[in-house]
Amino acid sequence: MDIRLRIRRFNPEVDQESYWAEYDLKDVQPVDRVLDLLEHVKGHIDGTLGLRRSCGHGICGSDAMRINGQNMLACKVLVRNLVQGDKGTIQVEPMLGLPVIKDLIVDMEPFFEHYRAVVPYFINDDPAPERERLQRPAERERFDEGTKCILCAACTTSCPSFWADRTYIGPAAIVQAHRFIFDGRDTAGDSRLAILASEKGVWRCRTIFNCTMACPREIPVTQLIAEVKKAIGKQKP
Amino acid sequence: MSTFIPTVRETFRYKGKEGQLAWIGHRLGGLGTLIFFIIHVVDTSWVYFWPQGYHHAIVLYRSWPFQIGELLLVLLVIYHGLNGLRITLMDWKPTLWRYQRQMTLGTFGLTVLFYIPAFIIMGSHALKNLLGIELF
Repeated sequence: MDIRLRIRRFNPEVDQESYWAEYDLKDVQPVDRVLDLLEHVKGHIDGTLGLRRSCGHGICGSDAMRINGQNMLACKVLVRNLVQGDKGTIQVEPMLGLPVIKDLIVDMEPFFEHYRAVVPYFINDDPAPERERLQRPAERERFDEGTKCILCAACTTSCPSFWADRTYIGPAAIVQAHRFIFDGRDTAGDSRLAILASEKGVWRCRTIFNCTMACPREIPVTQLIAEVKKAIGKQKP
Repeated sequence: MSTFIPTVRETFRYKGKEGQLAWIGHRLGGLGTLIFFIIHVVDTSWVYFWPQGYHHAIVLYRSWPFQIGELLLVLLVIYHGLNGLRITLMDWKPTLWRYQRQMTLGTFGLTVLFYIPAFIIMGSHALKNLLGIELF
C-alpha cells in the first residue's frame, strides 16, 4: 500500500505555529500499525519527529494521539482499519486539551494532577487481618472495568467538557475513583465522592460518550461516571 | 467567552460520533431557546412600557427571517426536550450505554416525527404571511 502520512508538527524552538508535514510511504503492509509508520518516519526520514512510545503493545498508554480525528493508541490501530484499497492518507495529531510540548508529545501533567486529586490508591486504616482482605467474585466484579485503565488520557482529551474547562477532573480520574469507591475493602469512598461532587467533578459530564468511544481498553467510561453520579445522589457508595 | 472559543475550536478538530453531534444539537437548542425567551420577555414588556415598539416587533416577526427562524427554533426546542429525556434516562440507568447509538438515532428520528405537524401548521402560516398562499 502507498500511504501519505500527514503529521501535525510543532517545534516550540523553531515554529510560531503548528503545521502539516507530509511523508509518502511505499510498501506499507495492511497489518502495519500507525506506530510502525511513525517509527519509520523517525528512523529513516526525519529523526526530529517527537512522539512518545514505550511498550508498543497497548499496555503502557504512552502513544495515545489523534489519528484521523479520533483518539487512539498508535500501537493498537492497524493501517487496514484506516485505509481501504491500495492507497490512502492517514492524519496524525497530538491530543486536544493538553499543551503541546513538541510534535505529538503533550504535557500530561494537568492530566495527572486531576488523577492525583481523587486519591487513587487503596485506603483502609483498620488493622490488617492475619491473611488477605477477602472479597467475593461479585464484589470484585463491581469495580473490574476501572482496573483496566492505563491512563493514556484518550478519554479525557476527547471530552468536550474538558476542552471547555481544563479544571474539570475528567473521565480518567473519575474511572480511577470509581475503582476504589466501589471496592468494598476501601474506606475512603465518601471523601472521594465529596471530591467528585464538587463544581469540577462528575456533574460537568454531559453524557456525550466521546470518552467511551475513545477508550482503547473498551472501558464503558460513561457508565462508570453515571454510577458515580448515582452514588453521590444516594450518598453511599 | 474564554471557554467558548476553545470548545468550538476543538469540537471542529475532533471527529466525534453521534454522541458529539447530539451534544452540539443540544447546545444549539438550549441557546436558541434562551435567545427566544429573552426576546419574548423583552417584547412582551413593551406592551406596557413602549406600545409602539411592540407593534413594530409584531410586524418584524412576520418578516421572512423571523418566520424561518421560528420554524428552526421549534425544531431545536423539540430536539432539546427529547434529547434531555434521553440523557436523563442514560444517567438513571447507566447500563443503557450499550444502546447509546440506537437511542441517539432514535432521538433524531422522534424529533423529526414530532416536528412534522408543527412544520405543516407553522409553515402554512408562514406561506400565508409571506407569499399570500393559503394551503388550508
